[in-house]
Amino acid sequence: MTDTLKSICEQCTHLHNPQLEFIPAGIQRQREIILRDLKELISAASLEREKSVVVLAGGLFESVLYCFIQAQSDYIAARRGSFTFDPEHSLENYVSIFNRWFSTVFTVPDAVVDYRDMVHLNQELKQPPEACRNAAPEMLRLLDTLLGKLSEYAGG
Amino acid sequence: MLEVDYVCMANLAQFDMGIRGREARIRALLEDVTQYHRGIYPQNLLALAVWFGRSPEGQEQRLLELFSGLPNDGFANTRFSLLWKTGVERPPFVNIRATSVEHFSRLLRESPEQLAPYKENYEVLYFDKRLVSPDILDVFDVITEPPGLIKGWYITESEYEKSKSIQGLASLHEHARPEFGLVKLEESADFENSRGVLHVEVTQKWLPISPEGIRAYTYYNDYQAGRYVYFLFEGGALYKVLKFEVKTAPEYAGRLLGKTPDDRYPEVYLRAVHPLAQPAA
Repeated sequence: MTDTLKSICEQCTHLHNPQLEFIPAGIQRQREIILRDLKELISAASLEREKSVVVLAGGLFESVLYCFIQAQSDYIAARRGSFTFDPEHSLENYVSIFNRWFSTVFTVPDAVVDYRDMVHLNQELKQPPEACRNAAPEMLRLLDTLLGKLSEYAGG
Repeated sequence: MLEVDYVCMANLAQFDMGIRGREARIRALLEDVTQYHRGIYPQNLLALAVWFGRSPEGQEQRLLELFSGLPNDGFANTRFSLLWKTGVERPPFVNIRATSVEHFSRLLRESPEQLAPYKENYEVLYFDKRLVSPDILDVFDVITEPPGLIKGWYITESEYEKSKSIQGLASLHEHARPEFGLVKLEESADFENSRGVLHVEVTQKWLPISPEGIRAYTYYNDYQAGRYVYFLFEGGALYKVLKFEVKTAPEYAGRLLGKTPDDRYPEVYLRAVHPLAQPAA
């Protein structure tokens, strides 16, 4: 059984055919950025570029959560009492907000933030030697699952 | 009479919703304050925020904030409107008692009676367990992992083959954040074999992995691909994964911090690898 990044990515149907209905029509530029980055992610995976995959997938987690949380601001405000979307938040913040209000849809593990932070040398040095090799396929699968779940949520 | 009962129940429900709504609103405003304070001092990060002496209907709210590395040994008091973002100065107000983690920890050891007010009708709004000592988390009943959880790292087949010793593997991994947790459910009398439920860290809490969730993880996929998979645990114990098996077990919910949606858990079966064992062929 092959488990190259390319083969893993090919099994990730939501990365290849993203349904981004959870992004409101009014924020078209964000959608275009996400679609561009997904194409680049697939390209990096097909070339077995594990670091590129980790960094790009981490950026996509941030972009997707940014757009989803922004779109769900009214829902969060209704449940929380008040909520104002902050476009300056970090990925860690977005993960925390998402896991608090949408854990029935999907839970994003904290490791995603650590993996994305490997863009910085000092952060990668804190990780075990094979962290990038292990993180790349996990990021692909987790991002694929997130996109699938958000698509279901928006469609439901 | 029945209609009157309905009216009373409806009024009670509205009253209850009103209280709950106000409580949620106050909590949200306090969380906005803590969110702002998380980044206010780049060198002294917010470690804990506790809403204490909670009275959502009151005009004055009280908040305890602990920061990491603050040099002071006392409490700093601040009061301002919770509507600060809008620029108005009117109720509700927040009264913040801020100090360092170290100072609070010292008080906890030397004169815990001084801290009693903070434990009255409190709610933890924010914590960063990397910055707060376990004794403080205990005081506020912040539970981040189930009893008996041990944490570890995935050791790939190639890494195991290259390794000279378990100590060597440990030195490469122990400085990194653990990749998974395990609650052992069963262990043989000679400690050679064990079985447990795997966990993942989600928003600082260790929660059980679902059968769907485990499919994302490299160790699981490497195992499915026929590779040897090893788990190294804190303390230096090394195990080889024998198999993964999904079990339906509603009773696990009582001993773990969370439950999977359908009470199904992937269990892992492990066998100890001894320090003198030769690398796998």
